[in-house]
Amino acid sequence: MELADRIETFRETLEEWLRGLYHGMISHPAYEKIEKEAEDTEDAFILACFPDAFGIPSPVSYYTSELLPYLEDEFESWERRLWDRDSYIERKGQQYHF
Amino acid sequence: MEPFVFFGGKGGVGKTTVSCAYALRCARDGNRTLVVSTDPAHSVTDVFDQPFDDSPQSVEGIDGLDAMQIDPEDEVTRHLDEIRQDLSEQVSASMVNEINRQLEMAHGTPGAYESALFDRFVDVMRNAEAYDRVVFDTSPTGSTLRLLGLPDLLEGWIDRLMHKRRTSIDLFEKAAVGNNEPRRVMEGDPVLARLQERRGFFEFAGSALHDDAAFFLVMNPDELSLNETRRAIDGLQEQDLSVRGLVANKLTPSPDSDENGRGARYLRERVETETERLETIRAEFRPPLVAEIGWRSSEVKGDLLDDVAAELDIETATEPPTHV
Repeated sequence: MELADRIETFRETLEEWLRGLYHGMISHPAYEKIEKEAEDTEDAFILACFPDAFGIPSPVSYYTSELLPYLEDEFESWERRLWDRDSYIERKGQQYHF
Repeated sequence: MEPFVFFGGKGGVGKTTVSCAYALRCARDGNRTLVVSTDPAHSVTDVFDQPFDDSPQSVEGIDGLDAMQIDPEDEVTRHLDEIRQDLSEQVSASMVNEINRQLEMAHGTPGAYESALFDRFVDVMRNAEAYDRVVFDTSPTGSTLRLLGLPDLLEGWIDRLMHKRRTSIDLFEKAAVGNNEPRRVMEGDPVLARLQERRGFFEFAGSALHDDAAFFLVMNPDELSLNETRRAIDGLQEQDLSVRGLVANKLTPSPDSDENGRGARYLRERVETETERLETIRAEFRPPLVAEIGWRSSEVKGDLLDDVAAELDIETATEPPTHV
């Protein structure tokens, strides 16, 4: 194998590793963080729609219940997330990979 | 005057009688009129001696007058059934139960009746092309009248909900790495569409109530009724809806001057206190007293209704609605 080829292979491997490293350390956690943030906003949205699920009577839940048929996934994962979540700090802590 | 006329007031003051009398007068003056009652006690049925349900039916013997009665309970059930229908089409069987619980909870909240009534009122206003005038006989003060002031509030509230929803969808879209499908997409999101639809509904309600509706309060000449009316006037004022006039109903008739029995003395005393109260109303209340209607010894129906109608000093000429 020519020296040039070997250098080329080495560079390709290095580039792949670097991209992987960057993705794993920087970009993936960042996307994860954005997704978590999105989930949090969604939780707030559903909580604002159905406060009576927590015993807070809301005159508007009559109107927001119209959204229920379209909120199947959201509603389910909302409940699951609420069950999972020990505290808000814990939830925020999950976003850091030490 | 505005095409939509609301009569409100404390329970038992005779709102239904006054609304029916006014509707009758409008019809007699050549306006196609609809009278809408939300009284589950079905008083309109009693006034016209004819059963009505929740779709407009013409009143026998009176040209150009239709009536309908809305039962809030039926409305809530209808709303619930509609959503259940949607639910069974959209949602997997395993989730239906879960969501059903939430749904029932939402329809059991204290505000559900009022919301249902409000929806129906707005619905009637929206589809009122067939009529020159729609007269609403509202249920006892507080709840309904307060609800009429809500559209602004609800609009703002829906705006905030939509903003939240948009933010989260936007974040989901951004979180989709590479070729991954985002979990939610903004384009064609049914939740946003539904909220937008509701927003339009409240917007219409708000402008129709502000520009095309006139409010009258019915009261009796007693202390409780006076206080309640004062509160109702203030409440409506806060919502930027002004009360056009007050109707004093069930005034005691004064006895002839030569009578002096116990009954006559009693009546005379009552008339005196009532006159004082009416003076108070004239002096302290801003909306003018547009009618003083005396007690009738029998149920107000038939010819008596015409009598009452004649005592109402409320104009009947209509303008077409500005928001359709």
